[in-house]
Amino acid sequence: MLGFLTARQAGLDDPLRLRRAESTRRVFGLELNPDRDVDRIHGNGINTIDIEAVEGRYMLSGGSDGIIVVYDLENYSGKPQYTCKAVCTVGRSSRYVHKFSVETVQWYPYDTGMFVSSSFDKTMKVWDTETLKPAEVFEFEGNVYSHHLSPIARKHSLIAVGTKYPKVQLCDLKSGSRSHVLQGHRAEVLSVRWSPRYEHILATASADSKVKVWDVRRASGSLLDLDQHKGDKSKASTEAVNTAHNGRVNGLCFTGDGLYILTTGTDDRMRLWNSATGENTLVNYGKVCNESRKKLQFAVSRGCSPEFVFVPCGSSVAVYALHTGELVTMLRGHYNNVDCCEFHPDYQELYSGGKDCNILAWVPVLHASAVEDESNSSNKDAASQPSVNPALQDAWSSDED
Amino acid sequence: MTLFPRKLFNDALPTIVLKHQLYSLHNDKTLVDKEVNKLREQAELLMFQLGFDTEAFGLTFISDYKAKVLAGQEGKVTRATVERFLEKLLTSSCTDLSFSKEKMLREFLFTDSEITQLVKSGVLTVRDAGSWWLSIPNSGKFTKYFIQGRKAVLGMVKKSKYSEVLQAELEERRTIAQVKFNMKYHIHDIVGADLVESIPTTSGALLRFVES
Repeated sequence: MLGFLTARQAGLDDPLRLRRAESTRRVFGLELNPDRDVDRIHGNGINTIDIEAVEGRYMLSGGSDGIIVVYDLENYSGKPQYTCKAVCTVGRSSRYVHKFSVETVQWYPYDTGMFVSSSFDKTMKVWDTETLKPAEVFEFEGNVYSHHLSPIARKHSLIAVGTKYPKVQLCDLKSGSRSHVLQGHRAEVLSVRWSPRYEHILATASADSKVKVWDVRRASGSLLDLDQHKGDKSKASTEAVNTAHNGRVNGLCFTGDGLYILTTGTDDRMRLWNSATGENTLVNYGKVCNESRKKLQFAVSRGCSPEFVFVPCGSSVAVYALHTGELVTMLRGHYNNVDCCEFHPDYQELYSGGKDCNILAWVPVLHASAVEDESNSSNKDAASQPSVNPALQDAWSSDED
Repeated sequence: MTLFPRKLFNDALPTIVLKHQLYSLHNDKTLVDKEVNKLREQAELLMFQLGFDTEAFGLTFISDYKAKVLAGQEGKVTRATVERFLEKLLTSSCTDLSFSKEKMLREFLFTDSEITQLVKSGVLTVRDAGSWWLSIPNSGKFTKYFIQGRKAVLGMVKKSKYSEVLQAELEERRTIAQVKFNMKYHIHDIVGADLVESIPTTSGALLRFVES
């Protein structure tokens, strides 16, 4: 670390290199931190979490009881022991709460004034965070499994929705009406994701084992289907055409730069695809246990040198290196199945939620915490504890004091 | 790699290794896959679909395969066809696992009766109406013993206290009559196929049965 710092100071190294090396080192040190807790509000399993992209301060979570909670992740108390408090909730007492389980929540990508949630009660609601009332409600014919707003869209404000019916619906946020429908899948659409690189490219994953990549401006069908056998017809049965997995495809994620797509399926495999050509890169992750009937939310790290993918695997979270496929570690801590996990790119923290109604925070531990002298919050040992950095301490003082 | 030849079949079969046994020997699965594909491109290795599991692929060296197949064809009517087929296979594509009818007729210029001869000799096995898997003649016995042995070894691990056994201890155990292959062969198979988990301990590797 010191070597990297001096190289950066002297101008020998690109500034990005120090950042990447340190982020990677922090990801290797991810551990369940006894100091960091998240308020336990949900009474039933947690299905989805989302951290806002603007500041990385607020986190949304949606649960099987229909409740949506907003948490504040920042630690301004000055103490290492911190519980992320729930700032507000849309609970069962609210008139507008979802009737059944909330499957996906997502912040509006540009500010935290708005968020969108979709649920098994066949509706998708666009909420105003200030008043916690839905500004818009979209109704569908089948259970809504997943929705996604494009994080980079400037020219459109479409929400892609995957429901029990095989048609992918696109809704326009500005006008509040449905825009158009993408046809091509044959079974329920379990997961939809916009590309973080091109604002018109959408990928959808379905229970018919196919993953399709679409350009929403194009009227005719999908751009490509992801084919696990790479066109090698000898491995597939003669009837199978272009399947991404040998079972339902329930997890879909783009990497941070949008160049690769990761998919997980109920055939216990995870595959990495080149997003431009749809080619299977044939990275072998081994058996990634997957029994989920709904979508699985997993996360890819951003800003690290070998990128990592965090996949919920039974009751633990497996961390794999993205391009080599080796298992780095298994994060164990949940008591029941883990359904979702989200990576905080600025602090290299991982938040995961599951059926045991807990959201666990995995924080990098780099230095051994000092066992003696923990009672004094002395600032000379601050650097060697995973606690308040003196640089972050509030040093503002008023002129009048 | 081929540490486990079995003289059991009276030398009628080439040494067969399964691809997932290689995963148990090396840590990096992607690297193993890449190397195997490279060898297949270079016409040194042949891969077969063994039929009992969609993901279980058997690998043999080409020289071995050729020698054994031709030896088995001595004095048979089908010998010439089989030879021609092997030559075509080596020159054109080593990377195919199966052949469809149009391919056989057009590329390889085989007639229907010749295809029947190839199936009779065991080099091709029927997969669908009009497509065939590449296979090893007389490999039925191999598959049978393999599945039997795998079940027996897995049963041994499962029956142990806490469903786990030290690898060294498992190798020491007397193999029951059902298990025809070397114990190590089976251990590599069940570890590579993720049927048991290999956990490093202070007394060596521990194999724990994986519930699925």
